[in-house]
Amino acid sequence: MPARRWLPGLPARLLAGLLSLAALSPHSAVAEGPEDAGPLTVLSWGGAYERAQRRALFTPFTEATGIAVEAARYNGGLSDLRRAVADDAVPWDVLDMTRSEAMAACEEGLLEPLPADLAAPAPDGTPAAEDFLPDALGRCAISHSIFATVVAYRRDAFPGRRPTRIADLFDQQRFPGPRALQRTPAANLEWALLSYRVPREALYRLLSTRRGLELAFARLRGLDEIHWWEAGETPVEWLAEGKVVMASGYNGRFFAAMVERDLPIEILWDGQLQEHETWAIPRGAPHPEAARDFIRFATSSERQAELARHIPYGPARRSAAMQVTTHRDSGLDMRLHIPTHPLNTQRAVTKDEAWYARTRERIEALFREALLEE
Amino acid sequence: MDSPLFGPKVRRALAVWRFLGLVLLGALIGGVAALAAVCFVNAVVWLNDLLLISPRGRMMAADPGLVVLATLLVPTLGGLVVGQLHRGLPDGRPHTPADAIAAVQTRRGRLPARAGGLSALSALVSLGAGASVGQYGPLVHLGATLGSQAARLLRLGRSEDNITIACGVAAAIAAAFNAPLAGIVFAHEVVLRHYALRAFAPVAAAAIVGHVLATQWLAQGALFHIADPAVPRPWEFALFLVLGGLGALVAGAYMHAILGMGRLAQRLPLPVGLRPALAGALLGLTALWVPDILGMGQETLRFATLAGAYGGGELLLVLGLKLAATALCLGLGFAGGVFSPALVIGTLFGALAGTLVMGLGGAQETFIFYAVCGMVAVTAPVIGAPLTTLLIVFELTGSYALTTAALASVTLASPLAAQLFGRSLFDIQLAKRGLDLSAGRGRAVLQEARLAELISQDAVTLAPETPLERAISRLGRAGHGEAYRVDDEGRYRGCVTLAELEARREAGTARTLADCPEAPRPVLGPQASLWEAMHRLQQVTGEAIAVVDDEERFLGVAYESSIARAFLHHSDALRREEHGAG
Repeated sequence: MPARRWLPGLPARLLAGLLSLAALSPHSAVAEGPEDAGPLTVLSWGGAYERAQRRALFTPFTEATGIAVEAARYNGGLSDLRRAVADDAVPWDVLDMTRSEAMAACEEGLLEPLPADLAAPAPDGTPAAEDFLPDALGRCAISHSIFATVVAYRRDAFPGRRPTRIADLFDQQRFPGPRALQRTPAANLEWALLSYRVPREALYRLLSTRRGLELAFARLRGLDEIHWWEAGETPVEWLAEGKVVMASGYNGRFFAAMVERDLPIEILWDGQLQEHETWAIPRGAPHPEAARDFIRFATSSERQAELARHIPYGPARRSAAMQVTTHRDSGLDMRLHIPTHPLNTQRAVTKDEAWYARTRERIEALFREALLEE
Repeated sequence: MDSPLFGPKVRRALAVWRFLGLVLLGALIGGVAALAAVCFVNAVVWLNDLLLISPRGRMMAADPGLVVLATLLVPTLGGLVVGQLHRGLPDGRPHTPADAIAAVQTRRGRLPARAGGLSALSALVSLGAGASVGQYGPLVHLGATLGSQAARLLRLGRSEDNITIACGVAAAIAAAFNAPLAGIVFAHEVVLRHYALRAFAPVAAAAIVGHVLATQWLAQGALFHIADPAVPRPWEFALFLVLGGLGALVAGAYMHAILGMGRLAQRLPLPVGLRPALAGALLGLTALWVPDILGMGQETLRFATLAGAYGGGELLLVLGLKLAATALCLGLGFAGGVFSPALVIGTLFGALAGTLVMGLGGAQETFIFYAVCGMVAVTAPVIGAPLTTLLIVFELTGSYALTTAALASVTLASPLAAQLFGRSLFDIQLAKRGLDLSAGRGRAVLQEARLAELISQDAVTLAPETPLERAISRLGRAGHGEAYRVDDEGRYRGCVTLAELEARREAGTARTLADCPEAPRPVLGPQASLWEAMHRLQQVTGEAIAVVDDEERFLGVAYESSIARAFLHHSDALRREEHGAG
């Protein structure tokens, strides 16, 4: 990699692109360091998401480098990471984290800073900094996908009508039935304020006041029957069982349920909360060198476009988004199912991760106090 | 320009090129003013977040003690800085849109760069430190100053200076609100106060550039968001009209609170430089209890448009405190505008009305209409711009239903407030400084034109003891019909006419000039305005009016013909500026 630095000028870009492809070959990966050749442990979210990552990223990485990849599972949160770093016994090499958690973890010093040139340029030579979405390249984490927290509903629950706006989540007169919501403030607060017709640009400024939070809590309290979920598969199951008629959840899980299990559910894209999913390396990872190779491999345009053919998350780099085609298994046009498609983004909210990184604990405490401890 | 060297064809071609150049200049000024406005707006947001003034900044600060400390200290220290900055200004006060209006209405033009820059800086500090003032006034003045500086740089004339000022103003509004039409109309309605195609094109070019730049670099959401514009029922329009009438009274209370606080401040036993700090301290102390009054109050404004965000009592409390806080901040010398606080106060007022109507069983779906009607009813009279406020509503919401409701409200609000209080706060302030704009631009120009330039020394001055015979022969030789008696110490002792002298000689009733009766004739000071001179002329049948200083020393005369010529010259310039096409 250092060899690329001295290549001057524009014509070098093409060469640099070729070299970066070469960097992905097995030789360059093993040439780097004296790390023990144990398997790379990637902490991710399990379920359909993990299956897609295995097919689009883990297996090809093993084929390319000979390094085996093991997946560990979690439901987000920093407490395990904090404990592992404090005990100096970090079992993971690569973390798949939401950007807000990555930002908070980075500030706490739980993550290794990443080299600025870690992400490879686009196939046409466009530098990574221009190819990735704004703010995708962080100090400790690189965004790879845009996923969305959305509301899905059972198609058979409301004969003759269907929800079209996020405010319908709170309208149990027109759309009766129990709801499933995530046991965290995120998404719930945003949707509650959106239902008052607050413009999306003003959401976090209003949620920064007691008045705004009270309004949001009041809207949530107004719901008759809420089932709170924690693991990403739970809302899908509850919808499948008919325990709830509307549920929040990750768009990729809902897609998998619709396509693979043929469940009668539909996604309400209005008010989707977009979030960046990032790769990061924990401080004290057993194989940091291989971890960096993995991140460089997994964030290449080709691999990102491939991932989006398994699970409908929007690639964080433009060159990859252009290459998204059909679903590997069903042949569906995936472009319509990724959160970043123009049809789906008309009223999308981008999660203010800097805000959450700084306020998470206080907002969660208020959220618990207002809604969960009754 | 009108050089006889060229034929009419060439002259017309030259005029077209000059006009196109002016449009291009307008676009350039628009670009610079819009960039300045965008930087200003972003800097205020950044400062508010950094200094824990904005709700977002306060929420993100983990330590509640720090927030309390910032609430108390930041406005106070900001006030100290502002007080020091204002010492560098010529008249010790920040310049406002009123100064830009005066410069254009009197055709004086030439807004000074130093005062403009310092005023903008002190407004930035005021807003950044959370003073309850507006940001649009400083932006308008900054844009106007940039426009005027461009005209000065290119050595353009007064008419062009006025147009470039209007360009800067339009671009600032277009960028800050992201509302180009409102920018164009504001420049015409408030600053130029006439409509000429010659000015329209450059102003429009500036507004378009401002709009384009703002969409690039200003990540601002719409002030309002109307998802499903419910249509108000017909009878509700009657309520909007009434709301407008009452809003005019709120606007009057707001303007008079600001003016009254300014008068009160004069009597405070506190150095001028420390007054803003006092206002900041009081503001911070109150904000510990009601944080809604800090800063421009954009969050407060948004909440006021949401039914149920405030209770009726809370609305009244915040409305009263916001009004008092703004009067305090502006009266005691913080720099800033009056528009943003008026938006907040008006919206709170409208929300109060909406809550009342809701309590009586109406307005379940149309709450936002009341909030917006209240908003325009208070802001339009304060800035004297009903059309601009309507366009802002239209461009920000894109809702025609909302704009027509606002129209109903402003229909009564603006004329009523104009009758009761004055055309705008700017006009009231200018009138207090001696510039009366109520009779239009023609009078303002004449009031600002000084007599001093017209003083002529071509007059017969004679000592009072001059014998009658000699006086008559002097007048005859000089070809004048009037002589001015001036004593040894140069003091003016009245005017005598040749006809009178002849009559006295024939009757033999006088030997010297001193024996002759004085012709009834007014005198004027050198600082008198052309307007005053024109009025005095009505009492004169003669050649000229003597100009006399405070100690009665004779300075010369102003001929009736030269006063009339100056009057025609100014009227002609105005006419060309306001009705010329190119």
